[in-house]
Amino acid sequence: MIQSLSGPVDTRPWWQKLVQNYTLRTFVQSLFTVWAVITFVFFLIRLMPGNPVEIYVNYLMNTENLTYQDAYNRAASQFKFDPDASVVQQYFVYLGQLLRGDMGESITSTGTKVSSQILRYLPWTVFCVGSALLISFLLGMLLGMLAAYFRNTWVDNVISFLASIVSAVPDYIWAILILIIFGVQLKWFNVGDMRGTYDPATPPGFNLPFILSALQHAILPITTYVLGSIGRWVLAMRGSTTSTLGEDYVNIARARGLKQNRIMTAYVGRNAALPLFTLLAISIGFVLGGSVIVEEAFVYKGLGSFLFWSISQRDYTSMQGVLLIITIAVVFSNMLADLLYSRLDPRVRVTGDK
Amino acid sequence: MSEVVLSVQDVSIVYRVSRGQVKASQHISFDLHKGESLALIGESGSGKTTVSLSFIDMLPSAAKITGGKVLYTRDGKTENIFEFSEARMRDFRWHDCAMVFQGAQNAFNPVLKIKEQFLDTARAHGWRDKGKVIKRTLELLRLVRLDPERTLESFPHELSGGMKQRTLLALGVLLDPQVVILDEPTTALDILTQRAIIEVLKEMQSRLGFSIIFISHDLALAAEMADRVATMYAGEMVELGSTQHIFYEPLHPYSLGLLQSVPRLSQDKDELSSIKGNPPDLIDPPSGCKFHPRCPFAQELCNQEEPVFKEHEPGHFAACHFTENVIEARANLWKKD
Amino acid sequence: MRTFWPLLWQNKVGLIGFIGLVFYLLLITVFQWMVGFDNEVKLDQINSPPGSRLVLLTRPEDKDSYTKLQDLVGHKVGILEKSGAPTFLEKSNVEGLEVETYRWRSGRGVPESLEALAAGEVDALIIFSKLVRRYVLDPSSRDYKVSLSHLTVSNPKLGPALLLGADTQGRDMFTHVINGGRILIITAIMAGLISTAIAFILGTVAALAGGIVDRILVAIANFIIVIPRFPLLIVLAAMITLNNWLLLATLIGLLAWPALMRAIRAQVLSLRERDYVEAAMALDLSRMHIIFREILPNMMGFVVINFVVAITTAMYDQIGLIFLGMAPINDYTWGVMLYFGRSRGTLFNIDSAAMLLAPVLAIAFFQVCLVLFSRALEEAFDPRLRGAA
Ligand SMILES: Nc1ncnc2c1ncn2[C@@H]1O[C@H](COP(=O)(O)OP(=O)(O)O)[C@@H](O)[C@H]1O
Ligand SMILES: [Mg+2]
Repeated sequence: MIQSLSGPVDTRPWWQKLVQNYTLRTFVQSLFTVWAVITFVFFLIRLMPGNPVEIYVNYLMNTENLTYQDAYNRAASQFKFDPDASVVQQYFVYLGQLLRGDMGESITSTGTKVSSQILRYLPWTVFCVGSALLISFLLGMLLGMLAAYFRNTWVDNVISFLASIVSAVPDYIWAILILIIFGVQLKWFNVGDMRGTYDPATPPGFNLPFILSALQHAILPITTYVLGSIGRWVLAMRGSTTSTLGEDYVNIARARGLKQNRIMTAYVGRNAALPLFTLLAISIGFVLGGSVIVEEAFVYKGLGSFLFWSISQRDYTSMQGVLLIITIAVVFSNMLADLLYSRLDPRVRVTGDK
Repeated sequence: MSEVVLSVQDVSIVYRVSRGQVKASQHISFDLHKGESLALIGESGSGKTTVSLSFIDMLPSAAKITGGKVLYTRDGKTENIFEFSEARMRDFRWHDCAMVFQGAQNAFNPVLKIKEQFLDTARAHGWRDKGKVIKRTLELLRLVRLDPERTLESFPHELSGGMKQRTLLALGVLLDPQVVILDEPTTALDILTQRAIIEVLKEMQSRLGFSIIFISHDLALAAEMADRVATMYAGEMVELGSTQHIFYEPLHPYSLGLLQSVPRLSQDKDELSSIKGNPPDLIDPPSGCKFHPRCPFAQELCNQEEPVFKEHEPGHFAACHFTENVIEARANLWKKD
Repeated sequence: MRTFWPLLWQNKVGLIGFIGLVFYLLLITVFQWMVGFDNEVKLDQINSPPGSRLVLLTRPEDKDSYTKLQDLVGHKVGILEKSGAPTFLEKSNVEGLEVETYRWRSGRGVPESLEALAAGEVDALIIFSKLVRRYVLDPSSRDYKVSLSHLTVSNPKLGPALLLGADTQGRDMFTHVINGGRILIITAIMAGLISTAIAFILGTVAALAGGIVDRILVAIANFIIVIPRFPLLIVLAAMITLNNWLLLATLIGLLAWPALMRAIRAQVLSLRERDYVEAAMALDLSRMHIIFREILPNMMGFVVINFVVAITTAMYDQIGLIFLGMAPINDYTWGVMLYFGRSRGTLFNIDSAAMLLAPVLAIAFFQVCLVLFSRALEEAFDPRLRGAA
């Protein structure tokens, strides 16, 4: 009486496999979201009462004494749209341009492409935010697990209390505190020297002085992001480890005589970490959002401070571009987190949802 | 009788709680012989799990072993389990004594393939030859009547409840242990699956020759499974004997009560009786015989003096002052059968 | 709720949060009424180091002769023009006090005046506390001059006893910290109310209505959730002129609901299975009745906790906006104090620590109290968490 197994043998036809393929589905969903965001931002900029195009036209009329038509044409050339086309036609043209990677020209610095501006600033923010998230994710998981193992002892009390406090304080408040206390008062580092993304004396390239200088300039923003996000990882990991420790398979693993290390990593750690991956994407958006202020406070020339700069200059094309890029970054990190999650949790791969 | 593998001698365990000490197991003694299966029966909360957890040092941190010893014999060498070093205990687990807990539905790590989990277990006990481990695993999976190759490559969620239970049994005997403890192995399974599991278990035992401690509150299963049965009540062992003894010639009122609470085919419905009253508070248990407040045969003596757990006929132990009354009562009760 | 107070009492951390919140409540009511807002600009120029205190600097031999302003009558006293000192002296009204002024331009006046003191041109100097350290007392400083090393501080606290010093306009910082919270806290609560209300209503409607309504609402929530809230907020703030607090609260509230809405939807879906809700639906009671009579009371704990969390989010958003100068800065709040700290460079001024630290700590402590309190609430409402720290 051999029992039949349904799970591991795949009898679906190829087209069904394709449609139900988890990776593909996640990817298509992400693309759809990106399209929705593009549409949303486009109409936001075009159709809002007192929309940027109107504002810019008025501005040109006032400052340069242009007629409405001239000003409108000028605005059109900068926003990259055909002034005679309807908004819907403009929208499709805009989509076409985006597909070719063209985001229009900056309004304030005429002749500069928004995309090249973004390419200039994006890597620094990706570097800072990425390494900060990695550090706080790993460190937070470690501390959270530690708290769960020693739950209701002083170790746990101290870790949980500090995590609550750290998670409560906004990241930009950390930035200001770090600046005031360690930079200005204690003078542990020279705030002035650490402005910008690297020392102009060390030209970019793959060499040690440049890398060191880039690290030196990034260390404060990274510390800030880590402080701003680690608390939530600790608390989340503590909760999920606590419940994982009570699972039967962990007890059975002990009864099986497995070594403590193996149980901690492959049995407790891996399962407890799973729910955290769904938080990862939210956290990426949050840290990216905070980067606007944090970069501004540290005078770090990344995408966040570029967004703030374009906003204060009312440079709507740049604004639109940066907002899009940030959102796309979040959507695709979301997707990566999803795929990673599905790699780590076999249950997701088969059923296709969490 | 064959040699003794596990000799439990006067083991007492308490749980320290804010109100005091829960006397979860008191003066438990029994011998487990090679190749036999012993069933532990009793209401839930009577201390069955507590006793067996102590054998593999997996009691919750609130628990404390207050006395006794457990002697384990392998290849002629006898050691006290309670004196094991941490490393020795780790190796003892599963290699010498495999314990499958209640609720095995969730016994496998959901993110690892079954194969991985078999290999993990073997590796932890120094079985380095991967090919040999896989070969033995395939054999065992066939023995529990699963499709070996497919099961091996499956993730736990791809298996049904019964399949998981069989896989767990196969895993349990992977390292050829001398003792296998099964704590309510079939709860949460439907009745057909339960039967199938018991069959598989018996077959495995006859092939591999390990001893079983079978914990259950399902008397029918225990009767089917066990060579000998021990009844536990309020942390104490109140009766121990062959399956024949316990099910047809019980000497303790509690055993008798348990049997009566199982519907018998010949019995009318309104005759069905269960034991009156509730299990006692183990922090402050009743004086004398702990069963006396619920016992239909109780007399003044039961309140004052604790009965001795003694041998009434060869191999049949019970702790009761008035066994003769029980014999009389059961004779009357089952006349009709 | 009856069990809430004893539980809070046991949960020391939650208690700290609760006491802190009570303190903030007092702050925006009683204290605020007791401590007026100091709005009197005391300097004609606004570029002196803010938050600084005045000290009296002398040559060592005169160390003990001048300790009060009175002692200076008949002597030549040096003073820095663009500091709080002239106004201060004017107000102190000491007759016969003669002052020599030095131009203070980007710190140049300080060494000049110090040299004058060392050379005996003046007998004493009224000057800022920490700048002096750089020139006179701290040999490791770049600006340290041996020729000045014999000067000493005679009276370290000559200036008005302002607890936190003065701001860029010579106004009492302490009164600003006391008064700077009300609007922020009220706005945050409003925004929290708005987002919680939207989340609750949409979440409940989605769960109860099901079908296409549910799908659309969930899709909208999922969509808003992926756009990073803060960048979107500042882009919107750049297009809408945020000139009043209600508008700000509404904007923040409108962007903050999706995550909570999804959670509430999930809760309602599970509540739906319960008998009393099924019974109410079977009886065909009105939607409103079901929502507010059957469902809300059963989710009160969850909603309250998330309301508290929503306040912290709103606080984050609005102070962030103010810090960047994209929200109303007419009312003097902690956020505006930070904004000035950034825009007027006080962030990098060694003497201005108090001016920035005061609002920073006020904000940070408020957020901490809210989070600690919300965790205590969570434990009170969720028995499973009890006993955990
Ligand atoms: N961790 C614990 N802390 C305190 N008391 C416990 C704990 N675990 C079990 N007990 C108590 O010990 C007694 C025996 O429990 P257990 O061994 O699980 O019984 P059984 O397996 O027969 O159902 C019960 O009264 C139970 O309440
Ligand atoms: Mg049990």
